[in-house]
Amino acid sequence: MASSAINTGAPAEEISAEQKVPDKNRIALRRTLLGRLLRSLVVAFWVMFIAFSLLRFSPGDPIRLALGTDATEEAVAAMKIQYGLDQPFFVQFYHYLTGFFQGNLGVSYFSHREVTEVLSTHLPVTLMIILLSMGAAILFAIPIALSVALSRRKFLTYFFRTSTSISLAVPGFFLALLGLLLFGTVVTWVPAAGYEGNFPSNLKYLWLPALVNCFSLVPILSRVLHSSLMDTLGEEFVETGVIRGVGKLKFYWSYLLRPSLAPTVVLMSYMVGIMIGGTVVMETIFSLPGIGRELIDAVSTRDYAIVQGIVMIFGFIVVFTSFFGDLLGYLLDRRVTLS
Amino acid sequence: MSKKGRKVRPEGTFAVFIGTGMMAAILLAGLLIPRFGKYDANEISADQILPPSSLHYFGTDMLGRDVFARVFDAVFIDIGTAFIGVLIPLAVGTIIGTLLGISRNRRINSFIGSLIDGINAFPFLIFVIALVAFLGAGLSSIILALSLVNWARYARIARTRAVVVNQQGYVEAARTLGYKPTRILFRHIIPNVSSETRAYALSDFTIVIIAVAALSFLGLGVNPPQAEWGAMIKDGANIITLAWWTAVFPGLAICWTGISVAVFSEGLTKRISEGNQQ
Repeated sequence: MASSAINTGAPAEEISAEQKVPDKNRIALRRTLLGRLLRSLVVAFWVMFIAFSLLRFSPGDPIRLALGTDATEEAVAAMKIQYGLDQPFFVQFYHYLTGFFQGNLGVSYFSHREVTEVLSTHLPVTLMIILLSMGAAILFAIPIALSVALSRRKFLTYFFRTSTSISLAVPGFFLALLGLLLFGTVVTWVPAAGYEGNFPSNLKYLWLPALVNCFSLVPILSRVLHSSLMDTLGEEFVETGVIRGVGKLKFYWSYLLRPSLAPTVVLMSYMVGIMIGGTVVMETIFSLPGIGRELIDAVSTRDYAIVQGIVMIFGFIVVFTSFFGDLLGYLLDRRVTLS
Repeated sequence: MSKKGRKVRPEGTFAVFIGTGMMAAILLAGLLIPRFGKYDANEISADQILPPSSLHYFGTDMLGRDVFARVFDAVFIDIGTAFIGVLIPLAVGTIIGTLLGISRNRRINSFIGSLIDGINAFPFLIFVIALVAFLGAGLSSIILALSLVNWARYARIARTRAVVVNQQGYVEAARTLGYKPTRILFRHIIPNVSSETRAYALSDFTIVIIAVAALSFLGLGVNPPQAEWGAMIKDGANIITLAWWTAVFPGLAICWTGISVAVFSEGLTKRISEGNQQ
């Protein structure tokens, strides 16, 4: 691996330890990885259980709600049997769990659509916005953090820190409205409504929501990247790189960014959860056919089966992105220990 | 960091001052303007969608209500909801997390620990939206939902901290002196654990203010006649090309409040970290 560049200035015993007993390290790594994966699975199970019990502990009868107030007792009882709601809690959960592994998350009480079908049609739009936001955010954050860290001017650092903490206090939905006002009416760069599904053509609908997401994402990322860059700049191997006169690109990547990127990558995977929340709000504002708008619709009609499925999927996404984020953080910087 | 021989105020004092001032200003405005202002927040008039002028500082909305009066009528609804929505999970999470941190029962510890991880795995806003769906819209269910979701974040912080605090010399000393366990818990452990959770609460406050407004914006918050920033932005969003002021001023109020908290906590962190260095 290219980690030789990182280790140039590192203490000698660290290098030799790594070279002497690679097997021991590998076993330890495999064990921590396995433990981390196991914990993720346990948490995923809890996620499913919590999402499932939401419906069961809610006040009011979802079936009665679905059928309307003038439904007869027999109709309610019949529908309860149809959806298996007459059975005890844990039996229902067992059915839900086995159904999950067969790709069946239940059926909406109102529209009778399958939850998996709703997810597969609307989730891609949401994921596209999140990926676009994250990609753009990292492209913005790296040059900002690098230039602030390398300039070492105290005023710039202070201005940077203050402006990042202030930008977190601006609600995304307010910013989205301002963006819509500016780009929708003053200059018409954003189509007022509608959506086209395929990749290059849907960008004209998605760039503004992604940009608004970036407004809260870039400050956090660049701030963390900045502080780890400052740590890296204090390391001896950076000086070694300067003295050896390595090429500019190699210097920036191998000597500065790669050793500093791990915390940012890990943070980014944790930020997916916050991004999902922001994206749900974006979708309602820009009327995009993502899963967030489905969630809000389902919430307002109390379509519990849909809400439960969407909440669970989002929980899974967060659990597994944070797992892969930790993994990627480790691969970028082997000094990071997996928790 | 102080300069030679001269006593300098710790860095960050200025930010704490600014943050406190901004918060005090909006609280004071929220107290005085609904009482002594020219217009009532819910007074409907024929002057619909007037732009800002000397008569209506922030203009009027679709029903001819004065936006200025409504923005400041909402101050205590918004800040109060967020405040309670931070305070309850702070207290509950700190206590549960501390108890977990000092308990020796490994089975309960890992069981509740994984439950905490499970709750924390959900995207914050999504989980709150889902809970509000099940509890029904309204401020009290927003507070309940915030508490049900956020205690787990505080509990995680408190647990990690409590494990450390529990092994400190002063706790050992209190035990050796034969104090009652409850006294040790509330007088020695919790104050030291809560310094960490309170610091998180401060940064959480900004998030919760925005979340409360976002929930109302999505139509899950207050009931219509009541003025509330998120709900006002929602109403204003429909006519934003016609009357930008109906949405922009409540939005600025949220920003003002959020920034005041952010600046305050930024300054406080700086002061504390500097105090630790000296």
